[in-house]
This record gives sequence, structure tokens and C-alpha cells, in this order.
Amino acid sequence: MGKAFDPSLIVDFIPTLIYYLGVTLQILAASVLLGMVIGIAAAILRLFRIPVLNQFVILYISFIRGTPILIQLFLVFYGLPAILLFINIDISRMDALYFVIITYALSNGAHFAEIFRGAIKAVDYGQTEAAYSVGMNNSQSFFRIVLPQAIRIAFPNIANSIIGSLKDTSLAFTIGVMDMMGRGETLIAATAHALEVYLSLAVIYYAVVLLFEKIFRLYENRINRHQTVDVSVTG
Amino acid sequence: MIYLKDIKKSFNQQPVLKGINLKIGKGEVVTILGPSGSGKTTLLRCLNFLEKPDEGIVQVGDVQVESKKATKREILSLRRQSAMVFQHYNLFAHKTVLENVMEGLIVTKKYKKAEAKRESELLLEKVGLGDKHNYFPSQLSGGQQQRVGIARALALNPEVILFDEPTSALDPELVGEVLSVIKAIAQEGITMVIVTHEMSFAKEVSDRVLFMDRGVIVEEGSPLEIFNAPKEERTRQFLNRISRDFSVSFLEERAN
Ligand SMILES: Nc1ncnc2c1ncn2[C@@H]1O[C@H](COP(=O)(O)OP(=O)(O)OP(=O)(O)O)[C@@H](O)[C@H]1O
Ligand SMILES: [Mg+2]
Repeated sequence: MGKAFDPSLIVDFIPTLIYYLGVTLQILAASVLLGMVIGIAAAILRLFRIPVLNQFVILYISFIRGTPILIQLFLVFYGLPAILLFINIDISRMDALYFVIITYALSNGAHFAEIFRGAIKAVDYGQTEAAYSVGMNNSQSFFRIVLPQAIRIAFPNIANSIIGSLKDTSLAFTIGVMDMMGRGETLIAATAHALEVYLSLAVIYYAVVLLFEKIFRLYENRINRHQTVDVSVTG
Repeated sequence: MIYLKDIKKSFNQQPVLKGINLKIGKGEVVTILGPSGSGKTTLLRCLNFLEKPDEGIVQVGDVQVESKKATKREILSLRRQSAMVFQHYNLFAHKTVLENVMEGLIVTKKYKKAEAKRESELLLEKVGLGDKHNYFPSQLSGGQQQRVGIARALALNPEVILFDEPTSALDPELVGEVLSVIKAIAQEGITMVIVTHEMSFAKEVSDRVLFMDRGVIVEEGSPLEIFNAPKEERTRQFLNRISRDFSVSFLEERAN
């Protein structure tokens, strides 16, 4: 059983735990960036209905959406070394951090793919035709006209997804990664003040999420400045 | 200059263009009239392969494409011979007015940025938007957006500009400003193909008028011939109906 509740410990715990925020953010940054690449590629495979790969992407996305991330994490952690051993690559000694990044990148990739796909379809096709009419080819019209607008449309959902992902990183400790949560677990083992540790973690996660939301909102306002409909300026 | 041979196009086994033959000379202004669903838009879009014809030959400038064998590269170079002004403007929503006009110059004409900017500023001046460079399309009226669309097309200095009902999405009081810009550029000897329902504009601006119905060109001639002495019964019926609608709406407007 834990010891009597002592709120003053929170003040001690927060700095100790925040020291490991860097690991959490590292997992997040790497998995979001990789997830973007996977997501855009998967969205393109879906939109252009590339045979075989399209079906593969559908399966991948539905699997990620249909299984808990904790299980995905264990599947990657135990499964990936087992698969790679078949081709004589031994990664059993690889840092657990990489397994976490791979898992979260795959998970983010699936979610981003669906968000991007919806956003790309939401860009008025007339603009693609206009791009063709001024002589652009497929990739010019996609990358110069459609994608920038799709990213703007996708942004609020991507932002939500990133915040969700930030919170999900708190599962990384289950395979032995020493992030904030992992450090929290060792603190509990050492002090038996579980409630204080979890309260400290809640404060830190909450503060980081609020900060992210603030940054995302500022960025969103900036990229959407062209959509401020102001018809009063006709003249 | 523009040459169409036996253009055919079907949508879901429904023939929409049933063998269109057409020649348009340099500097000619041709308007296409016809009832709704007669294939006017489809014909215009076949000229730049936004719609790929099932059969026939399309030539614009010195680029000739055989529809059945058209390659991506051929379609691209065909498209670079023309520019299009769309019914719903289709401006690039994330780019400013100036950037909309510059875009084609930079991407397809490989202009330097400063050059493209100078060129685009002149064109915006010409369509009366010299003071709107940094506006986004959503901040403009329909008439202003369509004038940006026209400047964007002019910037490419194309062999031909294709207009698909450039004023039909506009509020009536904004139609005039767009039509007068089109009339002004018609005077400069730019080749234009215009689909329109604005009869008096067509009368005034055209060198030649085509009347289309059910996927064929029923009749063509000078504005005088088509409007004052149509030979075909279908043309007569269409013009009667239009002028009746026109006088009804005219009377309604007077009554209000
Ligand atoms: N992408 C498409 N798919 C299926 N049918 C189409 C498509 N585009 C046009 N059509 C059909 O082809 C016919 C001709 O259409 P088109 O738009 O060329 O007519 P239009 O003469 O421009 O008419 P309007 O004056 O109403 O603009 C119509 O029956 C239309 O429903
Ligand atoms: Mg039409």
C-alpha cells in the first residue's frame, strides 16, 4: 500500500519528471515526422487506387484503427525482431525507444493518411483543372495547388491527432523506455507515493497539451488568413 | 490555328459530341450558343483535353493531337497552347491575386520571379485590379475574381483563350464589368472561343457565331446572319425562346 498523501512531494517530483520530457518529445517528434511521410504516401496510394498497394493500405489502416495501441506496441516489440531474424538481422538488442518510435509512426501514419485523404478530396477539383489549364502537369498541380490547401484543411485534425499521440507515448514505459512515465514508475517503486507521482505527471502532460494547443491555434490562424471572408472590400 | 476533326465524345454511352468539325483562324472571336446540355462546355473542354475526346483530332497552334493515341506529353503541350476562363473562376484559393496571375508564368513559362511579377502587375492594371494585388480570392467580389481569372489566362499569352460562360455565375450588376474587359481584349486580336448566354454581348463581340444542339453544330455564320436571318428551324426556336425569356425578365425588372 502507498504512504499517506503528501502534496508537497509534487513540488519535488515535477522537476525530476520534467527532466524526462525530452524523451517523450523525442518520441513524439520522430513518430509524427515519420507518420507524415507514411500518411502522405498512403493517402496518395489510396487516392490514385494503385493496385495491390491500395488494398494493402486499406488493410493497414483498418488494422491500426481496430487494435489498441498498447497491443500494436507489443506486436512491434516482439514481432519485428522475430521477423527480421528470418533474414538474419538481429535487432533484439536495439534500444526500446526505436520500437516505440516505429509503432507510433505506423499509428500516426494510418491516422494521418485518412485525414490527408479527406483533405485532398476536399480541395475543389476546379482548381486542379485551372492548374492544368495554365499548363501544369499532374505533380505540379498536386504539390503547388492541392497539397498546400489540403494541409491547411487537414491541420486541425492533424493537431488533434498529435495531441492524442503525445498522450499515447505514456505507454512506452511498458516496454522499458525511460520517458516521463517510465521515470514515474521508478519513483513510485522508490517512494511508494503513487498518487503524488501520477498527479505530477498529470500536471506536466496537461501543461504540455495546453501549450501545444496554443501553438497550434496560433499557427492555424496564420495559415488561414486568406480565408477571412471580407466581402465588404468590393469596389 | 484551331482545327477540330470529327470530335466525338460520350458520357456513359450517351453521345454528347457527335462529330464536330471546326476551323478557327488567328485572331477570330467565336461564340458558341445553344440550349443547355447541347455539349458546348464539353466541346470547349475537349480543346484543352480537360475532357479527353473519344475520337478525332484536336489541333491548337502547331500542336496536333490524335485523341485515341494522345500521350501525357502531347496533352501537356496542347494545354500550353491555350488558357481557360472558368464559369466559377477556379482561382487558386491559397494564393493572392498577384500570385494567381504569376503562377502560370513561373511554373510553365519559366519566368524569373521579378519578371513574372512585372508582367502580372501590368495585366492586373489592365483588368482594373491594380490595387488588389495582395488580396486573396475570397476577399473579392465575383466580378473581380473573374477579372483575375482573365488576367491569369492573358498572362500565358496563349494562342487561344477559352471562356466557358464567364458571367453566368455573377450577380447581374457585376456582369457588365467582366464583359467590358472581354470586349477590350477581343479588340487586341487575341483568338477567343466563348460559350455564353449573353446574346447582345455575343452579337457585339463575335466574328463568328456557332449554334450547337444535341452534340452537333447546327448552324454557323456572322452575328448578323445568325441573329437576323437564321437558316435552321432549331436556331430560330432557340433565339425566340431566349429573346422571350429576355423580354420577360426585362419586364419583370421594370415592374420591380
Ligand atoms: N463529366 C460528365 N459525366 C457525365 N455526363 C456529363 C459530364 N459532363 C457533361 N455531361 C453531359 O453531357 C451533356 C452535355 O453537357 P455540357 O456541359 O457540354 O452542356 P452545355 O451545352 O455546356 O450545357 P449548359 O448550357 O447547361 O452549360 C449533358 O447531358 C451533361 O449531362
Ligand atoms: Mg456548359
